[in-house]
Amino acid sequence: MSVTGNLSVLAEAAWPEPGDGAPPPVPGYVHSSFPPLVAAVAERCLTRAYGRRPAPGGERTAIVLVSAAGDRASAAHVRATVAGGGRPGPLFFFQSVPNSVAGHVAARWGLGGPVVCLAPTGDPRAEGIAEAELLLHDGDADRALLVLIEQAPDDDGGAGRPAGAPGTGAVAVLLEGGDAP
Amino acid sequence: MAEPATVQLTGVDASSAFGRGTDAQLAGVLAGDPAFRPVDRFDTTPRRVDAAATLPDAGGLADELAEAVDAACRAAGLDARRRVGTALLLAVHGGAHVPALTTALAARTGLTGPTRAYTTACVSASSAVADAAALIRRGDVDRAVVAAGYLVEPDQYALFDAGRALATDGAVRPFSAGRTGLLLGDGVAAVVLESRAVARETVADLLGWGRAGDAFHPCQPEPGGRGLARAVTAALRRAGLPAEAIGYVNANATGTGHSDAAEAAALRTALGAAAARVPVSSTKALHGHALEASGLLELVVTVLALRHGKLPVNAGWLGPDPACPLDVVRDAPRPATTRYALSLNAAFGGADTALLVGAA
Repeated sequence: MSVTGNLSVLAEAAWPEPGDGAPPPVPGYVHSSFPPLVAAVAERCLTRAYGRRPAPGGERTAIVLVSAAGDRASAAHVRATVAGGGRPGPLFFFQSVPNSVAGHVAARWGLGGPVVCLAPTGDPRAEGIAEAELLLHDGDADRALLVLIEQAPDDDGGAGRPAGAPGTGAVAVLLEGGDAP
Repeated sequence: MAEPATVQLTGVDASSAFGRGTDAQLAGVLAGDPAFRPVDRFDTTPRRVDAAATLPDAGGLADELAEAVDAACRAAGLDARRRVGTALLLAVHGGAHVPALTTALAARTGLTGPTRAYTTACVSASSAVADAAALIRRGDVDRAVVAAGYLVEPDQYALFDAGRALATDGAVRPFSAGRTGLLLGDGVAAVVLESRAVARETVADLLGWGRAGDAFHPCQPEPGGRGLARAVTAALRRAGLPAEAIGYVNANATGTGHSDAAEAAALRTALGAAAARVPVSSTKALHGHALEASGLLELVVTVLALRHGKLPVNAGWLGPDPACPLDVVRDAPRPATTRYALSLNAAFGGADTALLVGAA
């Protein structure tokens, strides 16, 4: 177990790790590598921590998702579709906000703490850990799953380049502890 | 009784389809006339629905946010010197532009403290308020500005239309029989939160807050409202208040069938017997759903209504829904009987928040 600030790291994972290809598709999500990456890296991290679902004590585990640009591929697709006078597919309705895939992870693992998505203005890991520390100190959660994800600016969802190509990737860290009063 | 508030709202500002500034918001919600009109900001020809609540002379989001922050700071008596070291927590729709928007807003408004940008859908602003309060309570900062903005634009409009989330009859009818969905609305707001030690003005006390998750589904609320109930319970606990003390709930209710019913269940769980007696309305039926900014616009409206002593109506009411057995404020504003109110928000991902304020 390592220590990050006031928090202990219970498990950590990345996607890609050596040998990884594209993350598995997630039912209900299309076009973009963003939701599958979040789901895959969270699954790997939580599996390392707990072995199997659901997470013990999951009701007080928060999810903090940090991404400066968000789901670039979905946003670009919607923008182009709307600009052309078309109708975006209904799946993009919920896919267009990062909360949705965070909710997918929460439902799968029984994580009932706060769900917070941030766009960092500085170091993503530091901002994510700061948010997790605040939530734990404030008392709405005992643990936090931190997910850091960025898509490469030219990641078009996998049609033109493999998802997980350089510049696109995610890290998940399960954190515990803090200095709650 | 609650202990003296650690965190106070000392300056507020908001703009919506009702106009600019707090007077316009209060007049708009108490008049009870929904602000939805056909959309003339962009072409809705390809969409199923043509209605939203927009501010006719709205500028760009960056300019509107800066105006709101300046107005809230002026109301709180924050000159340039007192803005130094103040944190800025911004709630907006996500995208590659957000980090730069946040740092530029902080620089433009002279807020030199920590910055944080929330892109957590419809609980973005309320989460930012809760975090600002937590930062102040922990002693990280004495003062924070929370700003939030959403201006109705073609992409989100098209997505909500494609998701069949928009009301098909031109009206938002929270908790009502016959409700068909939500309608979007402009919302730009800013609030100054300060520790009691440094506050010079007081608009309201931020007495409690809570955040929780449903752990249920990517985009559907848990039918029993368990997550939202835990958020309300946490807010009451922080405030040190019993459910019976709450005199008004500005509900999240969007006018959506299963979502409003889940919220009613959450209120019954969290407030017990008091849930049947506390006046409830959702001001989204008046100013529309401002998405990432909704929590802040609704908090400002709630505080203004409490201070004025009148609770806004739940517009669009057609008749009771057995799944929502609440005391919904209908027909005309109702006198406020206590100084305490809850403002609730919920979002995709099962994210839930509750903010508990006390009128100063």
